[in-house]
Amino acid sequence: MLLSVRDLRMYYRTKMGYVKAVDGINFDLDQGESLGIVGESGCGKTSISMTILRLLPDNAEFKTGSVLFDTGNGPVDLVKLPESEMRKYRWRGISMIFQAAMNSLNPVYRVGDQIIEAIQNHFPDMPLDKAREKVAELFTLVGLDPSRMDQYPHQYSGGMKQRAVIAMALACDPKVIIADEPTTALDVIVQDRILKEIRKIQKKLNMAMIYISHDIAVIAEVSDKIAVMYAGKFVELADAVTVFKRPMHPYTYGLMHAFPSTVGEKTELVTIPGEPPNLLNPPKGCRFAPRCPKADSVCLDVDPKYREVEKNHFVACHHPVQPKEVVRFYAD
Amino acid sequence: MQTNDVVLRIENLRKLFPAERKIFGKVKLFVHAVDDITFEIRRKESLALVGESGCGKTTTGRVLVGLEEPTSGRIVVEQEDVTPLLYEDESAAKRYVRETYVKRFSSMSDQQLKSLTGIDAVYAQRFLDLGKNEAKFVDEMLQNRRERVWQMRRRIQMIFQDPYESLNPRMTIFDIVAEPLNIHGVGNLKEREELVAKMLFDVGLTPPETFMFRFPHELSGGQRQRVAIARALILNPSFVVADEPTSMLDVSIRTGVMKLMMRLAEEHQMSYLYITHDLAVARYMSNDIAVMYLGKIVERGPTEEVLKNPLHPYTQALLAAVPIPDPEMKRGEPNIKGSVPRPINPPPRCRFFDRCPYAVKFCEDNDHPPLKEVAPKHFVACYVVAGEAS
Repeated sequence: MLLSVRDLRMYYRTKMGYVKAVDGINFDLDQGESLGIVGESGCGKTSISMTILRLLPDNAEFKTGSVLFDTGNGPVDLVKLPESEMRKYRWRGISMIFQAAMNSLNPVYRVGDQIIEAIQNHFPDMPLDKAREKVAELFTLVGLDPSRMDQYPHQYSGGMKQRAVIAMALACDPKVIIADEPTTALDVIVQDRILKEIRKIQKKLNMAMIYISHDIAVIAEVSDKIAVMYAGKFVELADAVTVFKRPMHPYTYGLMHAFPSTVGEKTELVTIPGEPPNLLNPPKGCRFAPRCPKADSVCLDVDPKYREVEKNHFVACHHPVQPKEVVRFYAD
Repeated sequence: MQTNDVVLRIENLRKLFPAERKIFGKVKLFVHAVDDITFEIRRKESLALVGESGCGKTTTGRVLVGLEEPTSGRIVVEQEDVTPLLYEDESAAKRYVRETYVKRFSSMSDQQLKSLTGIDAVYAQRFLDLGKNEAKFVDEMLQNRRERVWQMRRRIQMIFQDPYESLNPRMTIFDIVAEPLNIHGVGNLKEREELVAKMLFDVGLTPPETFMFRFPHELSGGQRQRVAIARALILNPSFVVADEPTSMLDVSIRTGVMKLMMRLAEEHQMSYLYITHDLAVARYMSNDIAVMYLGKIVERGPTEEVLKNPLHPYTQALLAAVPIPDPEMKRGEPNIKGSVPRPINPPPRCRFFDRCPYAVKFCEDNDHPPLKEVAPKHFVACYVVAGEAS
């Protein structure tokens, strides 16, 4: 296993108490595999990646858990490493494509130089011409003209900036790449190209990928397996087709039926009543229970265990949706 | 078709923005944000205006509610030409009336004037009734302009994209929703309270008393957008411009707001211009759809028809690029080259020429193609589709 996350918990300290953003996350990731994490804003999906990479703000408190990363000579637990050691794995082992690429390039440096800087940080012995060659290679890989490496970010379009950021993330040949909503600000046609590019490169380089998005249609296109996140926890994890065709958690079921599509029959869309809970004081039992049509007194009282209900299909629910069952949500 | 059922009709609307700053001399470069578009919306129906960022869809909406002045074109709301009301400056309004009506009418015979149709017929009749007196006609068109501007603003309202920025954080929900009533002097305090309570109930913020005296920051995104909807509908408009009202909302909340908007349209006999980049949302929120590219409408028709049978190469590419929420479904490859150029003084040829996989010389030699009805109610602006170029 390339990456093994166990019982990961990270809370944000606030004046009013702890915000339980990442609350007991478990998953495994193999080489060449792509995991999509889908969830709504504020459910903690970005916090997971920040916890794994240990890029947390001052008010974040790491609670428990382990992140076992296979370095090639046996696994290391990233959470236990001193910062100086951790630095070796960031970018080289696990790298990240950030949200809002437009803002993650420095406007006063040439795009190529910014990538060279990243490379030379990790490979100080690499001579400049070698590094430039590497950047040219990366540009070709992500579909940018290498002659553009001496231009400034403002000379790039939105899609090109996004490609440059992807090139930067690939600069040190990482084993795992975390993509956090890399296409959210882009128009569909550009998004389509970037999605295909990311997927192609990921397969070609046989990298593992964690793709984070709120858009289940995008997740459907780039993931081998999908984790559905709700209020700081994974509620369901399985291979992509299973999650879409046989969702077992009522929340997943609701999401799948709430999402409009341009193809197929125009079906009635489901409205999930209520709102996601405040993670400051999440409800006692199942966090979805107050919105769940299947919830009973047990759900309101006992937090369901995240368990493997069938092979490679994990669900955290007391009353999983059965095949062919129709769940009715009552909103309004 | 121009029946009484048409709530809004836009004819040849244009909006140009200067693309350079000059202290001396005339500005020669313009961004053609909206370039000669025509459409109409019937009562209780809604039109989705879709396209990528920068295609001019938001500018169209802003012109309609009076946030931008049109460069040229005519906007008719419920059988009244409201264009003179959209110009801040009275002389600009006067110029509009002279250009649109007086010049044309005075060169026509009585016979010709009587044979005009639609909104033109209404004004031609007035022109005749006034004994073809040009000055009187202009005066009448601009009569009570201030008052009519107010009336128009009651009839057309807008819902903005970001419910976190469109509500004043220092006002209570009651004050926000009641503000249009105050501005237009509707009812006394007690009546306003009743109206607001009823409106909040209608948008699903129940019980209203618990929401009225809270502040926007105490509400979630979905609830705030409901407040924005309540504020837009409190004056009972006949027409609402909704600019991406659900794009900031999470999926589980979004459907509720979408359904609410559809229900209110029915109950309040109201129409929407629904501006969105999301074709899947447009499918659920509109009867008709108009696809914009670089300031032009390239395809227009009944929503299901356009989505099932897109004819313009741009619509086809746009649809092929939309991710499908089904991992087993494989979609096609969008057949499109390059990226969106800036519409600054575009050359006189099809706007989509540079990116079109089917473009031929004819498309380059002729000006942008007009919309042509190629199937019932299905209009496409493409020489190749229309069979005029080979």
